Parts: sequence; structure tokens; C-alpha cells
Amino acid sequence: MDRSQSFDDQLAALVPRLRRFAHALSRNGADADDLTQAAIERALRSQEQWQPGTRLDSWCYRIMRNLWIDTARANARKSAREAPEEEGLSVGEDPRPRIEASVDLQRVMAAMTRLPDEQREVVALILVEGFGYREASEMLGLPIGTVSSRLVRGRTALLAMEGER
Amino acid sequence: MNDDEKFFAWLDGELAPAEAAAMEARVAADPRLSAMAAEHRGMQSRLSGAFDSVLEAPVPDNLQAALRPPAEVIDFNTKKRARSIPSLPQWAAIAATLALGFFGGTMVPRNDGGPVAVQGDTLYAASALNHALDTELASAPTGAVRIGLTYRDQTGEICRSFTQATSSGLACRSGGRWKLKGLFAAPEGQSGDYRMAAGMDPNLAALVGSTMAGEPFDAAQERAAKETGWR
Repeated sequence: MDRSQSFDDQLAALVPRLRRFAHALSRNGADADDLTQAAIERALRSQEQWQPGTRLDSWCYRIMRNLWIDTARANARKSAREAPEEEGLSVGEDPRPRIEASVDLQRVMAAMTRLPDEQREVVALILVEGFGYREASEMLGLPIGTVSSRLVRGRTALLAMEGER
Repeated sequence: MNDDEKFFAWLDGELAPAEAAAMEARVAADPRLSAMAAEHRGMQSRLSGAFDSVLEAPVPDNLQAALRPPAEVIDFNTKKRARSIPSLPQWAAIAATLALGFFGGTMVPRNDGGPVAVQGDTLYAASALNHALDTELASAPTGAVRIGLTYRDQTGEICRSFTQATSSGLACRSGGRWKLKGLFAAPEGQSGDYRMAAGMDPNLAALVGSTMAGEPFDAAQERAAKETGWR
């Protein structure tokens, strides 16, 4: 990435990838774009904390992942208080479609949603975003062995889900 | 790394060359492993292919907007914003602000060498303040009086906002002098380190916003205006 570019320009260039990551983490397109917006805002607010010369993409992915964890925890508390949704009813369906969600995209989002959070983030970073094991382990703050074993469980579950269709 | 993990690490290109070659040979010799490799490659390619559609989709307006947040500094190019009803923190600041003089003012200081001179019912900058308005550049501050914005008002005269130890204000050229349009005391506790930008007195911000025509001067325009005597 051209280092002479401004922080804002570099961030803007990353938005499509951050959106893809958000879709891999979220239940639906609306949640994904809310997450992307929150990550952009957080990145802009904390840009002094980013060290030029280090990778901006990893830094932004980490911001998004942490926001997603916070939101997931808040949602878990909320849904624990409310009547549980019938599984599969709302999964992958987007009441406010912000992108023309293809059948394929809806299907993979629904499958990802069925993975435990700790497997979903590893699958999203490595199989969807194309990061290496080491990069993913650094972003997630996990030992590389943990990343590797979660990835095995996550991808095996996804393959089994494909077999269900 | 157990066997499964090693297999997938090979599939993901994560093994060192020697280990990768060994796993490659093992997979080639084992139809079960070969089939598993093919299944997983297919699954990953369908997975990433589906998510890649997000990359091609246009970035929605709300995300475009998030990339261009309103500056924390009050945007003087948008006069309406400067004149809009202040939000709560601004009200708090207004409540803490004592207006010393405003459009001629009701409190008239004496001519005792202070920063303000009175002539008739008009207040002018004097002594150190007058000197600073004549010579200081926002781009190169040197003295106790800091210049904020320099711009032309709607009558075409040059105006400059300034901040000094315990007050801030606005002065505009009038008959070769700096006529004070407003002077505001800094809220308690902010004197000495009272800064322009986000900390600008809301009354001053409103006054600047309501008088500015066009855009504030950049450093080059400010310097040029100084060289031509602020005309």
C-alpha cells in the first residue's frame, strides 16, 4: 500500500474488504453494514493509535473483530432475556437488504452463522479473507495451534452443512 | 499439530517445504485423503466465491458518509451549522461564558493601555492585541495572542478571530483600525490554555459563522493580506 496515501484514503480503499469480513461474521447484510460503519468510525477516531509502517488492514480487521465480539456478547445477553427465535427462521434473511444479496451469499452467511463464534472468526479470516495462520493468530491474540484446531472444526462443520442440502 | 491439522495446514499452504512434500505424497497415495482434499478445496472456493460478491457491490451511502465525518472543528463554510441551535455541551459553555463586549458592548473598558480602546461608541483593538492583529500569522504563532481564522466578511473587510490568555474575540478592519466585533471571556479553568479549534467559544463561533463570506484564508492568503495591510 502506498504509504504517501492519507490514512483516510487507505481506509476508504479497505472498505470493500472490511465489508466482506463483516458479512462473514454477521447474521445478515444489515448487521454487516452496521458493523462496517462502526469499525470505520472507530478506526477514524483512534487513528493516532495506528503506527504508520504497520499493516492498516490487520489493524482494521482487529477493530472490527473486537466490535463484533462486543456486539455478539450484548446480543447474547439480550436474547437470553427474550424468547428465543425459532432457529433458521431469521438466519441469513435480510429485512433491509443493502446489497443485492445473492442466493449463494445468503446460503454461506446462514452456514457461517451456525458456527460457534470462535470458529466463525477463524474461518472468516483464513478461508474468506485469505490471511495466513500466523497473521490470524496475531489479530485474534491466540496461539497458532488454537487457530489451527478451530479452523479444522469450523471447515469440517461447513462441509457437513453443504452435505445436508 | 495432529494429523488432521497437518493435512489442512498442507491444504492451506502453511507447511514448510519438506513437510509439505511429504504430505503431498501421502495424499496422492491415499484415495480417501485425495477425495477429502478435493471436497474441502471445493467448499472453500464456493465459500470465498460467495463472499467475494460483497467486494463488487457498491459501497452504500451510509458507509461513504462514515468515511467523511464532520470535522470536530466547527465548519465555518457551513454557516447554517454554526448558527444552528447549540447542542448541550455548547449551552454549558455559553452559560459559563461572560460576554465582555458584543457589537459595541454594554461594558465599556477604560483606555488604560489594555487591549481595547474606546472611541465614541466603538471598541477598537489597542496595544498588544492591535499589534498581534497587525502582525501575527495563524500559521506562525509567536506571541501571547493567537490568531485563529482570517477571512473576509460580507462587507468585504478582513476579519480575524483571536485568543489571548483569558478571552477570545473577533476584530474586523474598519477605517484602517481593528474594530472589535466581539470579546468573550474564557470559561473558568480554561484560561492560559484556551485553544481555537474544538475549544472555540460557541458565541465566537456563531459570530464568525454569521459574518464570514466565502472561506477562511489559507496560510498564503493570510500572508498576502498582511503584506498589503489587511485591505
